[in-house]
Amino acid sequence: MTRVQVQGIVKSFGDTLAIEGVSLDVRPGELFTLVGPSGCGKTTLLRIIAGLLDQDTGSVIFNEDRMDDVPPYLRNIGVVFQSYAIFPHLTVAENIAYGLKARRVPADRIAAKVAEVGRLVQLEGLLDRMPSQLSGGQQQRVVLARALVIEPRLLLMDEPLSNLDAKLRVQIRSLIRAVQRELQITSIYVTHDQEEALAISDTIAVMDRGRVLQVGKPWELYLRPANRFVADFIGTMNVFHGRADEIRVDGDLRTFVTSFGEQWRVPAAGAPQKPGSATAVGVRPESLGFERRANAEEAWNSFTGTVAEAAYLGAVVRYQVQVADGPSVTAEIHNPDFASIRAVGDRVTLWFSASRVVLLPEQPGEA
Amino acid sequence: MRGRRRDLWWTVTVAGFLTVIAFLVYPLATVLVTSFSGEEKRFVLAANYERFFTHGYYYSSIINSLYLSALATLGALALGTSLAFAVTRYALPGKAFIRAAANLALLSPPFIGAYSWVVLFGRMGLVNRILGEFGWSLPTIYGWRGILLVFIVQYFPFVFLFVSAALRSVDQSIEDAALSLGSPPRRALTTAILPILAPSLTAGGLLVFMGTMADFGTPMIIGEGLRTLPTLMYGEFMNELGGNPAMASTLGSLLILVNTSALLAQRYYAFRKAYNVVCIQPLRVKRTSGGRRLALTVFAYAVVGVALIPALTIIVSSFMPTRGPVMYAGFSLQSYETIFFRIPRAIANTFGLTAAAVVLDVFLGVLVAYLLARRRSRAHALLDSLIMLAYAIPGTVVGVGLIVVYNRPPVILTGTWVILLVSYFIRHLPYPVRSCTAMLQQIDIRVEEASVSLGVPPFRTFVKVTIPLMFPAIISGGALAWMTTIGELSSSILLYSGPWATMSVAIFTEVFSNHFGTASALASILILAAFVPLFLTYRVLGERSALGV
Repeated sequence: MTRVQVQGIVKSFGDTLAIEGVSLDVRPGELFTLVGPSGCGKTTLLRIIAGLLDQDTGSVIFNEDRMDDVPPYLRNIGVVFQSYAIFPHLTVAENIAYGLKARRVPADRIAAKVAEVGRLVQLEGLLDRMPSQLSGGQQQRVVLARALVIEPRLLLMDEPLSNLDAKLRVQIRSLIRAVQRELQITSIYVTHDQEEALAISDTIAVMDRGRVLQVGKPWELYLRPANRFVADFIGTMNVFHGRADEIRVDGDLRTFVTSFGEQWRVPAAGAPQKPGSATAVGVRPESLGFERRANAEEAWNSFTGTVAEAAYLGAVVRYQVQVADGPSVTAEIHNPDFASIRAVGDRVTLWFSASRVVLLPEQPGEA
Repeated sequence: MRGRRRDLWWTVTVAGFLTVIAFLVYPLATVLVTSFSGEEKRFVLAANYERFFTHGYYYSSIINSLYLSALATLGALALGTSLAFAVTRYALPGKAFIRAAANLALLSPPFIGAYSWVVLFGRMGLVNRILGEFGWSLPTIYGWRGILLVFIVQYFPFVFLFVSAALRSVDQSIEDAALSLGSPPRRALTTAILPILAPSLTAGGLLVFMGTMADFGTPMIIGEGLRTLPTLMYGEFMNELGGNPAMASTLGSLLILVNTSALLAQRYYAFRKAYNVVCIQPLRVKRTSGGRRLALTVFAYAVVGVALIPALTIIVSSFMPTRGPVMYAGFSLQSYETIFFRIPRAIANTFGLTAAAVVLDVFLGVLVAYLLARRRSRAHALLDSLIMLAYAIPGTVVGVGLIVVYNRPPVILTGTWVILLVSYFIRHLPYPVRSCTAMLQQIDIRVEEASVSLGVPPFRTFVKVTIPLMFPAIISGGALAWMTTIGELSSSILLYSGPWATMSVAIFTEVFSNHFGTASALASILILAAFVPLFLTYRVLGERSALGV
């Protein structure tokens, strides 16, 4: 199993800085995801790790081996491309065997390995087809098999699901995860889809404008986003601006005054701002409710507004609540009963536990 | 890795530049410089140009050339576009035949077309002799009317192919939108469809204009002394009383000026008018009946019928007994016997030189196309433009340039077969370069990266993955180069010497010595030789073969 270290990578194209000094540490055998909006540099970084692009400065290290001067064809990496990049002039079996032939593996062993990997990615019976006779999902499995059969030190996947329809996406996603777990192959996965990233990853790095903003487990990113960009990119976050008041310690809590005048108690940890300084806090839509739950241990906050939109989705009702002189807030009421249905125009009070509040410093990246 | 990769493609870049500079840029520059040289070795600025524009003998040539090319362009555009609309938009019987016939009409070089009209309508022509027995006669085929006829008939298929291809990529929704917004069909045509076709129309028109400007053989054979720029240039250069390279270079420079201006104007126009059309549903084919259908059918078959006359005339007349320019009814292999005994060398020369040139074109073309498509830089853009220059430069000018440069030390090529090969090679290099570049732009670069990441080094990836994927473009580019090289006359007539005469040169001299039978037999072989690769390309590649590069 391969540990991948990325150290201080910088890459520019002409005058534009694509990657501004990125360092990462990918543990052996884990599935590590780079997620971010298009143009954030995630694919560029993947291509640098693959050796298909040269970095300006910095290093890529596999275990103890510095790869910077190793050409891509000697790195022993499996790459799965967004556009499949299937060899259209070769059959499925020849596609899968391509990398083995380059390694001069004997023909009988090639046949055995192709059959084995074909079974693993559920391509039995299709090995003699030409790529043009395959569906998108089948082509993607061919490409996955082609990358896996060479027993690479590292598997790189660049938005492998983005050309598939929603149902296939979920199917192939679980296939990739299952195969990756079974072979215990260190993998780096690139996507712009935060949901996909949460579902598939051991570790996620959120990137924006050429920098890594936060690295962590999926739930760490969701529950403890380090800044406003991560909070908003991973899931949905209601952001409330205001100021941290005089520190009045009440257990682990302090006071926060919103721009519309409510006094809330929020976690004190991790936010050593000066009293009175402007800051912001975030609350997830699903943390909001119409009643204060009778748990005396916790501190509860509330605010009042008018329902501006209501979307009933069965398992959940999504409300857009307008606070007078304040923000428009999204609230999701899960498993709604008759009593929790509100109409547009109703005045509502929304409650949330202080423990569910996330502190979001004004400057992104300043945790 | 970088170093190694750079080495190989760096070599190709340098080789490409050296080739184009040595065989195209330097000869053309020499022509330009020579046009400013005086007869008494002193440098008289523009004296030759002054002489050109003050003597009717000279300036009439540029007037004739511009006049003929302009009319031919308009005529070919009208005919080609009408036929394209008729065939693409209406349900006519035998569409496949009409398309095939238009392709076949491109197989015979224009000068052979000119010769075929002389066979039919010339002074000793078949039709004129039959009519003469009834005491009738037709207006003369010689002179500018004949040239114009030949130009239009020979060149309209280009317009037809370009416009047909463009029409197939227009979506029906465009017309529907125009109609639903209140335009009657005719207005929908002129305001919605024709503007989308503008780049293809002008590209076809440009091809006609540049081709007719450069055409040397047609006015020589059917013009009866009518001076055009290429014929006068040839006359000045090859004059038996001692050639005048300075004046020939002046004429050549004017040709370069006219053609490159036309090329740049079209590129500029087409670049500004290029639309991205997404075609999901092609234009509807309209059903017609009665008089309209009959009229359209008669029109389409009349046009392709006329376009096929030259090739049919040549082939039929090659099997007729002849004496001099007079042909008699009957069947005879006399003409073929004559050429196989008298001029087998010309046939061997043509096939050998053409094959060698095409192999070189394809070899360099594939490598250069890869550079242009995958490692685009400013230097490569320049190389691209220089190679494409060959499109615009008439063969007569290339011929004169090569002679002027390579008939003196350090490198003497005149009098050898090498100089013919060089001309064929450099003039038709654009075909494989174009077809392969276009193909590469359709091939996902990730496919090559996938191969590299699977452990195959870049150059072996190029051989194992890229070249097989480029195969259709290699074949159609090579076939086009072959078709256009094999009947090349305008530079061959200047560059050949002694034993190195080609079939095109032999046809030309046979026509001028009134040996029409042998000329027809040679021309038939040429047409067949051009047809076979075209036919094979269609058989092997089917729809993938792109004739309209």
